[in-house]
Amino acid sequence: MNEYAIQKRKEKIKFGIVSVISLCVFFGVWYLCTAVLHLKPDYVLPSPVQVVEAFFEKLTQTAPDGATLGGHILASLQVALTGYLLGAVIGIPLGIAMAWFRKVDMFVTPLFDLIRPVPTIAWIPLMILWFGIGLGAKAAIIFVSAFVPCVINAYAGIKQTKPVHLWVSQTFGASRREMLFTVAIPTALPLIFTGLRISLGTAWMTLCAAEMLASNRGLGYMIQLNRTLARADLIVVAMLTIGVIGTIFTVGLDALEKKFVKGGRRG
Amino acid sequence: MKRKIDLEKTVYAVAAIAFFFLLWGFLTTFTPVKETTPGPIEVLQLLVSSFYTPIGSKVIVGHLLVSLRRVLVGFSVATIIGIVLGIAMGTSRWAEAIFKPIFELLRPIPPIAWISLVILFFGIGETSKYILCGIGAFTNVTLNAYTGAQNVDPELIGCARMLGTSERDIFFRVILPSCTPQIFAGMQVALSTSWMAVLAAEMVGAQEGCGWMIQRGSDTLNITLVMVGMIVIGLVGMLLATLMRTIERRLCSWNIMEN
Repeated sequence: MNEYAIQKRKEKIKFGIVSVISLCVFFGVWYLCTAVLHLKPDYVLPSPVQVVEAFFEKLTQTAPDGATLGGHILASLQVALTGYLLGAVIGIPLGIAMAWFRKVDMFVTPLFDLIRPVPTIAWIPLMILWFGIGLGAKAAIIFVSAFVPCVINAYAGIKQTKPVHLWVSQTFGASRREMLFTVAIPTALPLIFTGLRISLGTAWMTLCAAEMLASNRGLGYMIQLNRTLARADLIVVAMLTIGVIGTIFTVGLDALEKKFVKGGRRG
Repeated sequence: MKRKIDLEKTVYAVAAIAFFFLLWGFLTTFTPVKETTPGPIEVLQLLVSSFYTPIGSKVIVGHLLVSLRRVLVGFSVATIIGIVLGIAMGTSRWAEAIFKPIFELLRPIPPIAWISLVILFFGIGETSKYILCGIGAFTNVTLNAYTGAQNVDPELIGCARMLGTSERDIFFRVILPSCTPQIFAGMQVALSTSWMAVLAAEMVGAQEGCGWMIQRGSDTLNITLVMVGMIVIGLVGMLLATLMRTIERRLCSWNIMEN
């Protein structure tokens, strides 16, 4: 057994090294294609070195897009979190209400099914018209994108409560309210968290689109504006920042989920 | 009893939809909203007339076909690459060690964030649209194929091996069938992400397609056109999802994942 464990550890180290080499090759090829061979001009594909330089430069400089990297990040976070929190705060209770009260279900579900198939991005022009190009429109767009997965998952979560559990609680004299709060909602929590995770992903993705089409600050705007300025290095910096922040969000949500969801399977 | 419930449901659904249109009509005739937003009748009229009056260079069906072609080309190519890569990562530790770090590095970047770079690289022609739709589909398919192949019950593989099945047969008759449902789940999501990506790409730079249509409506303050575009896009998105579900039922009837 001990020998087996040692061998397993050896394998782990071996494949770890392979992974590191693979990453090095990736960056090496990128460097080779750009800085050494110049297959594409700098304004189309920057070398990794240029990207790192642009990153440090962008930490302090506002040129050419009007804000430092920190400024863009803050602007994007403000929009994303406003819309996302609104979507979750309204979407989850609505999903729960739809699943718990039959009449709400019968009335709201057709309306929801009417609106749901329209991709969030298609809402952008309408939202701009209604709310202007400030925080309002973008938050409203993110709201739509976060709202839908929250509703669907909260709904599915409550619906998967086993009737037996509800019967047992009923037999022991639980009120309808207690049944909802002590049986149905805890059952639904893992799926509600799945909804939160999915909607965070879509919200973050929609944010880029919203900022590309109408904005004067934010990471999506940075991507869009630097295309017209042909500053590909700054585009890559913005893309990577978006990726990193998205990852941080996911990790944070996972931690929250571990804390709040007791037992049960995930997803 | 069942019929009574069905009847009740229909009544509620009709009431809800009637309520929606009445509210829309009311808001756009009697309140300040009418300054900016067209009513349901105008939108319906334009929707009907757009089938024979061209918008820009094409009638509405033409724009739809353009968008659909972009989605289908990008989606199919990305799906094939994604399935191969995902299954390779799920079954071979070498492939996993080589590709996973790069995949994990690029995965969190949303497809829409690629638009600028792809346009700089490939111009605003068709290629960049195919690639954007492909990026939209690729991550979902790969991830699902990967977890699907990884989670194949080891007992099944061991059992097949013990009974003398060749490695090739194990792959084609055990691993592949048991991760198909998960791959399909990924393809469902991927198709709708692709559909969203093509809209974004067309809104940023294109001369035709559904995304161009709503962007054009927005630029010329023709909100009726925007709403017609939204309706058509929603309908097609729904149709695509239904189509995928039908194919899934046919192909993996032995193991439909219950959602």
